[in-house]
Amino acid sequence: MTATTDRPGAGRPSTDDPRVTLDQELGVFEPVPPYPPRTEREAEFYTLRDGEMLLNMGPQHPSTHGVLRVVLKIDGEKVVDLDPVLGYLHRGVEKLCENADYHQAICYLDPLEYVSSLFCEWPGVMAFEKLLDVRVPRRAEYIRVLSAELNRVASHALFLGWMALDLGGLTPILWSFIERDEIVDMLASLTGQRMLFNYFRIGGVNGDLNHDFMSRLGDWMSHATEQIESGNTLLNENEIFVRRMRGLGTIDSTTALRMAFSGPNLRATGVPFDVRRAHPYSIYPELDFDIPTRSEGDCFARYLLRMDEIKQSLRIIDQCLHQMPDGPIMAKLPRLLRPRPGRAYAGIEGPRGQYAAYVISDGTDQPFRMRIHDPSFIHLQAVGLMMPGHLIADTMAVMASLDPIMGGVDK
Amino acid sequence: MTVISRGWDRLTLPGKVLFLLIPLLIVATVALVAVIALLGQPILDTLAANLPIVRFVLAVTIVLLMTIPTAFLIIYMEMKIIALMNLRIGPDRVGPYGSLLSVVHGLKVLMKEDFTPTGVDPIVFTWAPVVVYLASVMALLVVPFSNGIVGQAFNLGLLYFFAISGLSVVGLLMAGWSSYNKYSLLGGLRSAAQVVSYEIPLTLSVVGLILLAGTMNIDTIVRNQAGWFTDWYVFQQPLGVLIFFIAATAEANRTPFDLTEADSEIVAGFATEYSGMRFGFFFFAEYVNVFIISALLVTLFFGGWNAPFPWPWPVELTIDPGSWGIGLLLLIGLGPVVLTLLFATPFWLASSRIKTWQALIVGFVLANLFIVTLIGAWAYVGLDWVAGILWFMVKTYGFVFTFVWMRGTLPRVRIDQLMDFAWKWLLPASLLNLFITAAALVVVKGLR
Amino acid sequence: MSLIPGLGLAKGMALTLRRFFEPKVTIMYPEVRIDVPPKFRGRLQLLYDEWGTIKCETCFQCAQACPIECIDMGGIDTRGRYHVHWGAAETYGERREESALRRSGRPVPDPAFRPFQAVDLGELDRILEEHDHDPADMLQILDETQAAYGYLPVAALKQISHVTGTWYAMIYGTASYYAHLRFEPAASTEQARAVDDHRPPEATYLAALDAALGGNDRPGTPARA
Repeated sequence: MTATTDRPGAGRPSTDDPRVTLDQELGVFEPVPPYPPRTEREAEFYTLRDGEMLLNMGPQHPSTHGVLRVVLKIDGEKVVDLDPVLGYLHRGVEKLCENADYHQAICYLDPLEYVSSLFCEWPGVMAFEKLLDVRVPRRAEYIRVLSAELNRVASHALFLGWMALDLGGLTPILWSFIERDEIVDMLASLTGQRMLFNYFRIGGVNGDLNHDFMSRLGDWMSHATEQIESGNTLLNENEIFVRRMRGLGTIDSTTALRMAFSGPNLRATGVPFDVRRAHPYSIYPELDFDIPTRSEGDCFARYLLRMDEIKQSLRIIDQCLHQMPDGPIMAKLPRLLRPRPGRAYAGIEGPRGQYAAYVISDGTDQPFRMRIHDPSFIHLQAVGLMMPGHLIADTMAVMASLDPIMGGVDK
Repeated sequence: MTVISRGWDRLTLPGKVLFLLIPLLIVATVALVAVIALLGQPILDTLAANLPIVRFVLAVTIVLLMTIPTAFLIIYMEMKIIALMNLRIGPDRVGPYGSLLSVVHGLKVLMKEDFTPTGVDPIVFTWAPVVVYLASVMALLVVPFSNGIVGQAFNLGLLYFFAISGLSVVGLLMAGWSSYNKYSLLGGLRSAAQVVSYEIPLTLSVVGLILLAGTMNIDTIVRNQAGWFTDWYVFQQPLGVLIFFIAATAEANRTPFDLTEADSEIVAGFATEYSGMRFGFFFFAEYVNVFIISALLVTLFFGGWNAPFPWPWPVELTIDPGSWGIGLLLLIGLGPVVLTLLFATPFWLASSRIKTWQALIVGFVLANLFIVTLIGAWAYVGLDWVAGILWFMVKTYGFVFTFVWMRGTLPRVRIDQLMDFAWKWLLPASLLNLFITAAALVVVKGLR
Repeated sequence: MSLIPGLGLAKGMALTLRRFFEPKVTIMYPEVRIDVPPKFRGRLQLLYDEWGTIKCETCFQCAQACPIECIDMGGIDTRGRYHVHWGAAETYGERREESALRRSGRPVPDPAFRPFQAVDLGELDRILEEHDHDPADMLQILDETQAAYGYLPVAALKQISHVTGTWYAMIYGTASYYAHLRFEPAASTEQARAVDDHRPPEATYLAALDAALGGNDRPGTPARA
């Protein structure tokens, strides 16, 4: 049998080739990278001791649904080490923003975190406003806070469902989707879309509050608290749920701060850091709300903290509705935006932590450089610290409790 | 010739089929009659001489066939009940209220490619679903559905049941090991650990009951519980029922103990690499298992096919249609017509907006319902095995509902918690139950 | 967690059982279709005027404004983007290419920016001086410019725009409206005369109106035989 080597890929073994033995062919399934280890960590990770094996969780795993791959090093059921592999959802948002003008860039920020789109727009828009030195009208700021807090409730509601689903509960995900659907429908009547709102504009918002939105909001506010409470009773006191979550994925405040945690995950370790209070922006200094903290730093604390945050968000929404001023919703702006050369940074408190944008302008109508900071990326790195010693079943629980959104991780 | 061909061409497709089929049927009938006439007596004699064997084969066939609609029904229940608990509507397109969707699922798995991945052990891979399914079906063989309606009643029925239902773990382990997939392996090993651990409290929880009943014959256990519902063993063995319920849930791999196929952890467990009808066998076996554990709970602790109360008015229904003579013909011929008209009349009279044909349709439906109810009531009162099946099914599907309800509510436990629970809580509790029962029996006997 | 083990589980079970009987929230989609919100932006929609003619002029401004370049027009090679208009390729092909080129970020050749031929502007200055740089006399200025140069050179139009303060586009629009004004040198005298002889009806009408009104303080079009 003469080998024909002129066709591409001839050197690679193929299943049709009778010379390929079964062992060679099956070796491909190990999740080991095809190149020699590039770092010490990689070399250590892919060296298996006695009784250990590598388990490839994702990207076709039902819990990672195509966007994340986690290589687990397991000893029986116990996770020894773990390595998240990113990049399945990378779209190059930062680069895309640099090729669009300032108005167009906003719509690229939306799909970063597709469950809380408004929080991704906000830092970008704020940074652009700082570059252009625009003063946002007060009514626009109130509308921003109102819609963003609604979005925070929607995001936390979905977190609850996902977490329960990763623990095997079938029902909470659908109940929380009902909750989210009401909010999202409401926001759709305000913004026009259900998922990627694209609502904030430089110098204001796109469209004033309308009757449809206000009536839906009124309906929802009248039953929101008890609806959320009643849904929570399914999990809050459930022995199976509590026993699985308590003491799982613990992280102390020092490590969390060193890992640059923010948002509920940091506050669950006892650090009362909230961008809305620490570096006040928009109209948050005028609003009265608490920053719930918990000291345990485990999955259950993170879960309960988010449930507490929903209540605070409802308070903020209530205050926004009562204090809503009259006035314009957009600042006066030229049609073509050419900010002076300069740099601007803006950070906000989102449902997962600190979202931020850092923009450099070179005087043209497009950002010269745009850097987007996303908390999910940081929180996902900490899974490697939390997991060792726990079981395979806990991997997804810990990840769900950190609530990373892969769109934000991969950008 | 042309006449024949033209006549043939004029027939529609069903007509052509019937035209060919009817002569064939006539010939077949004649042949069958001839065979029976010539060889009937010897065949009957042979069958009668080996009646236990014939009965056994028949029972196995019926049980095997029964599992399929049972699985369909439970799959439909699961889809619909969990949907309703989720505030969804669930299946509602195929059949009335979507009740045929599970049948469609069954057809779907039949039509799918039966894929054998690279690297599997083909023989073990192929036979694993069969082992799992047959273990379920064979366990069903000793469940008494009603008075005398039982696949095979024998003295060690309970022991046989535990022995056979423990076999399914072999199939799961085969599937997990042969699949050449780490998830499958994890699932198989998990199921082995789980089923072996829970087998012990499951069996021990029943030992108290065996002491009470004094037998392992399931039929006798059921007969012991006849009378009022206070005679059921659940009131004498409350702890035993609880342990049995929990352990049986784990044994059937149901939520909250469905670690073997935990989709958010190990993709589909041992069934990850299966597709088509092989997956269907696993799927069916799971739901047949649900039915079996519900049936066994009912049989052992909840009175089996006994009604919760004795029928208060003993009636002697001796209907002998043969003695009615011409009246029987009249009843069959005229009864439905008269009933239809009778039921249609009030509707026809009630409103002039109801047209005659509408009233007649309503009357026909009501008359049918009436007749069916009448026959059912007669069967319930007159044939005690019909009443038995009714009560047995009502109780069993009540427990099936409970299992589905649990699936709709509870999250999954972790493997170490599962093991802790089995060995540190259920096993001591079942031993305690056994001890208390034995002590109570001794005391009661001593007092007598 | 409660003191009694299993109470939390029982509460959850009770909750699901209660929800089992509650009204359901499913929207039966193909039968029931909920309205999209009035602000819904997810659908490209072509508007029609009152005669039923499509209003889209294939100007490609929407395609250029779209940040993710999902809009395209035409029946050929749309690369899976939205078709918003179907028509003869010659009506939009050029603009489509230009739009695509502009989106690609490369420099776009624009015929309006072609270097125009310089002409001697002395004659034009005299004409403009005569009319006191008044844009109200634009038609006369243009007429006289054409008489002086034989056609309307771009350099002259730019100069008129610069001096009178009128937008170049307005001057161009005025000039292109009248058929007797031309932007290229006439190919032959016959043709030029033939074009000259074609009197625009509006100009005739205005001259007649002026004559009828008597007060010819705003000199109309030069009278011709």
